[in-house]
Amino acid sequence: MATRKVGGGGSGRLRLALVLLCFLVITSGVILRRVYGIAAARELQELDARRAALVAERLRLEGQIRSASGRARLQPIAEQRLDMHVPNDSQVIILPRDAHDTP
Amino acid sequence: MTRPSRVGVVHLALALFVVALLVRTAKVQLLQGRTWAASAQRQQSTERVVPAPRGEILDATGETLAQSRETVRLDIAPPEVRDLRKLRAILLKAGVPAEFARRASDPRRKWVTIPGRYLAIDVAAASAMRGVYTTAIIERAYAFSEGTRRIIGRVDADGKAVDGVELALDALLKGTPGAATVMRDSRGRRFESPAAPGTPPVTGNTVVLTINHQLQQIAERALGDAVSSMGAEGGDVVVMDPADGSVLAMASMRQDPRATASTALTEPYEPGSTLKPFVAAILMEHGKAKESDVVPTYGGELTINGRTIHDEHLAASFNLTDVIRYSSNVGIVQFAQRLTPREQFEALRDFGFGTPTGVPYPVEAAGTLREPARWSKQSANSMAMGYEVAVTPLQLASAYTAIANGGELLQPALVKEVRAPDGTVLYEHERRVLRRVLSPAVARRVRQMLLGVVEEGGTAKLAELGSFSLAGKTGTARRTVNGRYAASQYIPTFVGLFPGDNPQFVILVKIDNPKGAYYGGLTAAPVTKAVLEAALASRNAALDRRTLAASRQEQPLDSARTALKLAAAVQVASDSVSSVRRDSVHAAGVADDDSAGTTPFVATLPAPPAPRVLPLPPRAVPDVRGLTARQAAHVLHVAGFRVQLAAGAAGETFPAAGTVAPAGSLVHLAGAP
Repeated sequence: MATRKVGGGGSGRLRLALVLLCFLVITSGVILRRVYGIAAARELQELDARRAALVAERLRLEGQIRSASGRARLQPIAEQRLDMHVPNDSQVIILPRDAHDTP
Repeated sequence: MTRPSRVGVVHLALALFVVALLVRTAKVQLLQGRTWAASAQRQQSTERVVPAPRGEILDATGETLAQSRETVRLDIAPPEVRDLRKLRAILLKAGVPAEFARRASDPRRKWVTIPGRYLAIDVAAASAMRGVYTTAIIERAYAFSEGTRRIIGRVDADGKAVDGVELALDALLKGTPGAATVMRDSRGRRFESPAAPGTPPVTGNTVVLTINHQLQQIAERALGDAVSSMGAEGGDVVVMDPADGSVLAMASMRQDPRATASTALTEPYEPGSTLKPFVAAILMEHGKAKESDVVPTYGGELTINGRTIHDEHLAASFNLTDVIRYSSNVGIVQFAQRLTPREQFEALRDFGFGTPTGVPYPVEAAGTLREPARWSKQSANSMAMGYEVAVTPLQLASAYTAIANGGELLQPALVKEVRAPDGTVLYEHERRVLRRVLSPAVARRVRQMLLGVVEEGGTAKLAELGSFSLAGKTGTARRTVNGRYAASQYIPTFVGLFPGDNPQFVILVKIDNPKGAYYGGLTAAPVTKAVLEAALASRNAALDRRTLAASRQEQPLDSARTALKLAAAVQVASDSVSSVRRDSVHAAGVADDDSAGTTPFVATLPAPPAPRVLPLPPRAVPDVRGLTARQAAHVLHVAGFRVQLAAGAAGETFPAAGTVAPAGSLVHLAGAP
């Protein structure tokens, strides 16, 4: 009849506990990594949406600046408020430039 | 045999259960793993198409004309919203119509879609609230004017091109959509999978047009003013660069709101007398006439094949130059007799009439140019006067570029460049000669003839500039409505080459059915002058100023004195009869009692603005001898005078230094290099 070693049972339980602990740590690591990844993805998405919103805002403001500084808007204002007019061709002086100047 | 203990049975059962679990796990993971993984993927994530932003459309100087931007559509589930009052206030602040803000805050409604698109930043506060759902939508934003939009076209609410350049170049502009994997978390919230980032969308290519937005706005303003002041039904202005065929501006205006296309490309019309220079050119090219050749004009009336043709300028005879200068119908018909129908047809065809120009636009009219086999007895004469042939304004301007550039018909261009999103140039416009239609010498001689049209005695005196030469030709044609000539309705046109000696612009102005004055020289010619003056005063209107400086005609002091006296005389006799000459208008098959020649003519041009009265006292003209032109001009400006450069001894002024002159008056400064 085989005899049971007293110390052998304790070693087996310890080994099992270590295996379970490792499993728990690894599983927790995987879950934590996944949670972190999802959170990062969501934050990235929010930042991307914010960037797109800011780009759209920039484009709108650029369009408004273009419109406000455009000839179609400024010329009537200059004519009506400042009593300015488009000069005739004789009033336009084209000063000659050196050949190396950019046109 | 010993019976198994109860503990043994339990152990055995547990062992079997573990074995069964392992077998099942192996089956699910190893044998069916891919199937279940795919099934899970379908349940937990979805594939989403990411729309690609359309490419930008720029003008020739790099200004943005059309671009895409991201907007959002708002959908609201009122029962899910916790603070409806707050939501309503936010929506009203974001510009949502009051009625829809009220609906969105009504808890009895289950779902409300807010019409329109909003910038995400404007509705950010609402988007953060529970029960508010946003859908990103790419919107096309257009800058600048309505006229520019006629060229560019538009896209519909789904982002599909509808007309204009947007439609013609849709394949280049629309880009490639991307894909994204969207996952759901435990709360059902969606997020893009970090493990499967998907394919990013590729933005469409950037299209750079040849249009110069400054010149475009100038053309639109001048056309709008003219249409408004003349009570016209519309008009077109086309400006082209004769050096490379680029379309620099193309403004169209119609009172009819249904006409949304660029009518300079889509509406052909009979060009009238603006076709006469081509007949003259053909004659000279074939050696069948020269400028000094004279034909009888019988006092301005000729009956030929049973039809009587009239002139406005009555003379016994004209040479070819004067036929063009005075726009003589009788004269050009007499000269056209020297051409065979085939010669006349082939030459006009070679100038591009009857064929679409091929610019990238979804719809373009070919115009009408019938073959000689389909001509009537009157056709050759009619076509010499610009009837029985229909052209679009772009075709006509394009044909004139051949006269302007020395005889080469160029492919008109509307697209200057196409660039990939990374900046790589995919296409660049290069000057493309379709054919040589005139020899350089004949083209130069025709240009010389056209200079006379804008000088004293010509039909386009009102287009004349003070410091630059302008060549051109007026035309006033009967207007057809439903295939018949309409009574007292005309289409005046002026085509100018600026400057006349070395053209940088070919500019065509066409007015549809103006009320009152209707001759091209009285309606379209002044619009041309207005466009050119504004372009000269503009910093960036596609003019080469260095070349332009060489073309400037300096006024010598003697002529400046004469000009001052003349200006004074004109001011005094402002109500005298206009010396502007008129085109000869004659359409085939129109009764003479309805012709322009028998209709009393009243010029209804807007009166020139009254000179501004300056309250400043007169002052002496300063002595600027010894100063450079720039310094002298500055000193004179500071002293309160306007300055015009003139030829003569450096530093000399007229009025002379020391002369007391009214503040704000014009001082001619000699010494222009």
